[in-house]
Formats: sequence, structure tokens, C-alpha cells
Amino acid sequence: MKLSNLELRSRLASEYVLGTLRGGARRRFEDYMKADPALRTLVVNWETHLSPLAERLAPVAPHPRVWTKIAARLAHAGEKAPASGTKVSLWMNLSFWRGLGLGASSLAVALVTAMLVLKPVEQSPILTAVLAEDNNVARVFVEQQKSGLLMVKMVTPWKTMNGMSLELWVVPKEGPPRSLGVINNTGETRLALVGMDEKLSGGLVFAISKEPLGGSPTGQPTGSVMCKGAIAHMPSKLPRAPI
Amino acid sequence: MATMSTQIPTAVNERLAALLAEAGLGNRSAFADLYEATKSKLFAVSLRIVRERHIAEEVLQDSFVNIWNNATKYAVAQSAPMTWMTAIVRNRSLDIVRRPFLEIQDEEDFYAINMEDERPGPDVQLAARRDEVKIERCMKGLDGEQQQTIALAFFQGLSHSEVASHLGKPLGTVKTHIRRGLLKLKGCLES
Repeated sequence: MKLSNLELRSRLASEYVLGTLRGGARRRFEDYMKADPALRTLVVNWETHLSPLAERLAPVAPHPRVWTKIAARLAHAGEKAPASGTKVSLWMNLSFWRGLGLGASSLAVALVTAMLVLKPVEQSPILTAVLAEDNNVARVFVEQQKSGLLMVKMVTPWKTMNGMSLELWVVPKEGPPRSLGVINNTGETRLALVGMDEKLSGGLVFAISKEPLGGSPTGQPTGSVMCKGAIAHMPSKLPRAPI
Repeated sequence: MATMSTQIPTAVNERLAALLAEAGLGNRSAFADLYEATKSKLFAVSLRIVRERHIAEEVLQDSFVNIWNNATKYAVAQSAPMTWMTAIVRNRSLDIVRRPFLEIQDEEDFYAINMEDERPGPDVQLAARRDEVKIERCMKGLDGEQQQTIALAFFQGLSHSEVASHLGKPLGTVKTHIRRGLLKLKGCLES
């Protein structure tokens, strides 16, 4: 079900953030939001507007036991729980990723070589990948030149995004895909994340999914895979010729 | 993309975003730094709503466990780090608020109450933020009753009926003040 009345959507979003939407109505509204990214955006806009009021309250230091209890709860929880209730079946299916056939790989090598040749001599990249659709149309070129920074070049933009966002993921050997952020449908996107290298370590494949505006609301891919490509980790020095 | 809050200086927001990103990767010391940097602000937000320190402490605990578990999602959130965390704390506070003996403070002069000292000081960040908070200008543009009802609801987390009983006004009147006040705020904030 969807909230369709524009005036009502706007009013409920504002009263949700103000806090006067309570009880069952508040929970129902939260359910609507999960399935309705535009409604979520209305809420985020109100939060952004009203939050400065809350942030300016005079600070009050909490008792040190609060942190002790938080730390105990994290220790008790052990390793981070995987995101639950998200659509990861296809994403988690390794054989799906292994299905990246020879065709895509050789295409990748060809395109990477072409792009390296066309560029002036620079520091050699740490890793590269060409992300293609199932029909081998190359869509996106990804390259890491230096630690912590990922360059994403749109080779063949999609005609229209219909209010959706493209989100880049790295799929590790084990565990769920890790988000690297939302990318532009044109030109270049520079992704600079703290801990980028850790996120990329052990990464087999880059993939781009179509997500609600602003990116996946769950932290895991929710939309279809638009394109994907195996990651080529470049050797730090040119390999020696075989003896 | 939503506009980022301009209240907190960019450098602070960037540091908080970096700490959140680290926390998302399981870095506990970054998470501890994030807690240190934000705990007193967030505790104040909750305390104002739930009133009792031990309940506000529970809210802060639950909120930070939630922040830890969802830190990876922040990378794609549409808002500034402090906005994102404040919303988590406010929502948790509103979920568990219990008010058996409600004593409501007046919020008529909402922007004067419990706000940080705004006198210009050597802290340039503070000076910069003083000029930038649009919501405060817009709040001042509301008529007195709208301002009062909205401030009571926002800061103290009062429901419509709690605002009504506090002000001794009919519920319908209070709802109207809030609805019209929010519409007017929206117009001002988006102008």
C-alpha cells in the first residue's frame, strides 16, 4: 500500500519528525517509509531542517556507566550481525558471481589495456575493473590509483534513471556485498571513503545496483544488478618474463 | 539529495562521517571517539523528552547500539551525521517515553531556553553557526501559539493531547496550530 495524497504525505512526514505522530500511526508511517523512498526523503528533509534546534540544546554529560554498558552490549553481540531481512539471495549466491564468464574477463582485459595505453604515463593502478551488462556492453570503468580513492567512470550512461540511484558494491569472497556509495550516471565519480582499502580487500567483483534515490535504504542491495565486473588486482611491479 | 545541515561546521561533520565509516567497518576505537564527540549533545536531546536520567541513559545505550549496527548504512544516508544520529535518538526517546507525572516546562521563548551561550567568542565555528540556522529564523516568523505548540512538541516530545492539556486548549485547536505552523515553516524553510 502507498500513501498517495501529496498533502497528507507532506503533513505526516512533518508530524513524524516533529514527534506528534505517535503510537500505531507512527509505526504504520515507518512501514510506509520502508517501501517508499520518496516519503523517506520528505522525512530526511524535515530532519535536516529541524535537527539544528535539537543540536543546540545545552550539552548534558551522561554518566560514564552508559559507555560501559554500550561496550558490554557490543562485546556480547560479538562480531557484527549481518544485515537481516534484505534481499541478498542473488547477491549472496557465489555461483552467480563465478558465472562471470571468460567473455566478460577478456573484454575487461581488452578495455583496461586500451585505457592504459591511451593515458599518459602515470602511477600504475592498484586495481581496475570493467563493469558490463550480461550482453557484454561495457558500462562502467573502475580504477584505484591510490589508497583510499576509487575513480568510477561512466563509459555508457543509462538513458534515464527515473528518479533512481546507481550504487556501487564490492562483493567479497565471503559475506554480503559492501556499499562503496552512490555514483553518477555520467562522467566521473570519485569515491573517497575512510577504510576504502579494507572494504576492497578480498573483493572479487564490483557490481552496480539500481536503488531508490540516494541509495539502498537497507545497507544491502535491494534492486536489480545493472552491471558487474571481476576485479583485477594489479601486481605492484611488472611481472618478470618467464625464464 | 537533501541539503546538509549547515549548523555544524563542515570539518566537524566530515570527522563524524569518517568516524561513522570506520565504525561501519567494525573499528571500535573510532566508535568510542564518535560516542565521546556526540554523547552530551545526544543525551541532552533525549533527556529533554524523557525527563528522567535513567531513561535517557537507556535511550543513549539503545541508540548507540543501533548506530553501531547501522553504521554501514550511513554511507548512503542522505543527511549530515549529527542529523542522522539525532533522529535515531529522538525516535528512540519517543518510542519509550513514559510520563506518569508530567511536568511540562514552558517553551514560549523556545530559542532562549537551554540553548548554548551565543555570545561571540574566540570560537569561529560557533560564530559561523550562529548565522546559519535557518530554522530559528523561520520559527520566529510563526505566530506565538504556533511557535509555542511546535516547540513543546519538538523539544519535549509532547503529543497533541499533552500539548493541549498543558496549554488548557482544546485538542482541535492545538492540532490546527501545529498543522498551520508546520505548513508555514515549510514555506519559509524552502524559500
